[in-house]
Amino acid sequence: METKSKKLQAKDLINVGIFTAIYFVIFFAGMMLGYIPIFIPLLGLVCPILCGIPFMLYLTKVKKFGMVSLTGIILGLLNLIMGSGILVLVAGIIFGIASDLILRAGKYQSWKCTFLANGVFSLWIMGYVSRMFLTRTEFFASLVSSYGQEYVDTLMSYTPNWMFPVLFVVTFIGGILGALLGKAVLKKHFEKAGIA
Amino acid sequence: MDAAVTTLKFESKAVIPTDPRTKLFLTVTVSTIMITGGTGGFMNFVRPCLMACPIIFLLLSRKWVAAARFAVTYAILFALELTVLPLLTGTWNFILGAAVGIYTHMLPGFIMGYYLVSTTTVSEFVAAMERMHVPEKIVIPVSVVFRFFPTVKEEYAAIRDAMKMRGITTLRSPMKMLEYRVVPLMMSIAKIGEELSAAALTRGLGAPQKRTNICKIGFGPLDVFFFLLAIPCWVGFFIC
Repeated sequence: METKSKKLQAKDLINVGIFTAIYFVIFFAGMMLGYIPIFIPLLGLVCPILCGIPFMLYLTKVKKFGMVSLTGIILGLLNLIMGSGILVLVAGIIFGIASDLILRAGKYQSWKCTFLANGVFSLWIMGYVSRMFLTRTEFFASLVSSYGQEYVDTLMSYTPNWMFPVLFVVTFIGGILGALLGKAVLKKHFEKAGIA
Repeated sequence: MDAAVTTLKFESKAVIPTDPRTKLFLTVTVSTIMITGGTGGFMNFVRPCLMACPIIFLLLSRKWVAAARFAVTYAILFALELTVLPLLTGTWNFILGAAVGIYTHMLPGFIMGYYLVSTTTVSEFVAAMERMHVPEKIVIPVSVVFRFFPTVKEEYAAIRDAMKMRGITTLRSPMKMLEYRVVPLMMSIAKIGEELSAAALTRGLGAPQKRTNICKIGFGPLDVFFFLLAIPCWVGFFIC
């Protein structure tokens, strides 16, 4: 069944759709934690860990360039529809392509590159957070009227400016941890069942 | 012949069918403005309109139960905001205020998303995307994603029931619950996905020829009306 062609076939595109759907669902479940303001900095850690499981299974199906980039683009589009702004789409495209390049460097075989790719791919979540830092004053000003001053103050005190690079690192670590978890689950369950 | 065509399932759902592109555009409008838009001034007028918008659409599509459910949710949220919130102080005010604020912001976009997914068939969606000249490499995965949300929900409900019977619940064993729910879910999704791609390939997806589509889509007067309605909302969004 395995086609040798470099171009993406319909089957590949359907695979992209399936795993993007499940990634998005699990990611959204993780996002629910973020509505408690204290957890927002932790979001970058929690979501990639949860999403590591579907993503590692996905990567076992990825053998061609472009699939992970497409996942990034579609996740960005879905979030755009759900109203998270254009920055998420930009982040999705950038980090999707970056992680695709890393995977290609490892010829879609090496575990090291896979871990790294999951870490880099997880950084698209920063698209959410960057609005908080790049347009800081407007963002918090718009929150005051709808969420109340106390919420904003709490959020502000948890996210000083130096948190921005720290969050990148935290998310990256979360991605690596997620990949490790994903690999463990892969080994324990999916390989036995013959899916991976 | 004409009579047979007009009674096809995907054409008789809405009282006044709206184009998938309009739905998509309105979903983006509602969710973006509700979540990231400012408040005050002109927006005080726009916001309630946008909140009512999804409910009206659900009614237009004869989704009575869903419309009623979301309307009740709105009512509860407002009642909480008006009655309970002023009575509370300190931490409780903070928690409830944030929760109510988040729900009133997220819910309209969420309902629009629900409306979009539940009233648009995959073929309609593909037809609309092709009209917009979106490349096939984006259209196929996105339509699969849309097709899969209900499936994921169904499968998840079944797995949750099964795990409940075995006594694996969130509170008793959170780590187990992650493993015992996510893993079976992904197993079944991967299997369904394989079947889906076999079915889609049989129907000629990925064939080199251009595919034809039975769905009639196009902009009607109602679509134009909603587009015009959305323009002042966006103007307000960029000014405020």
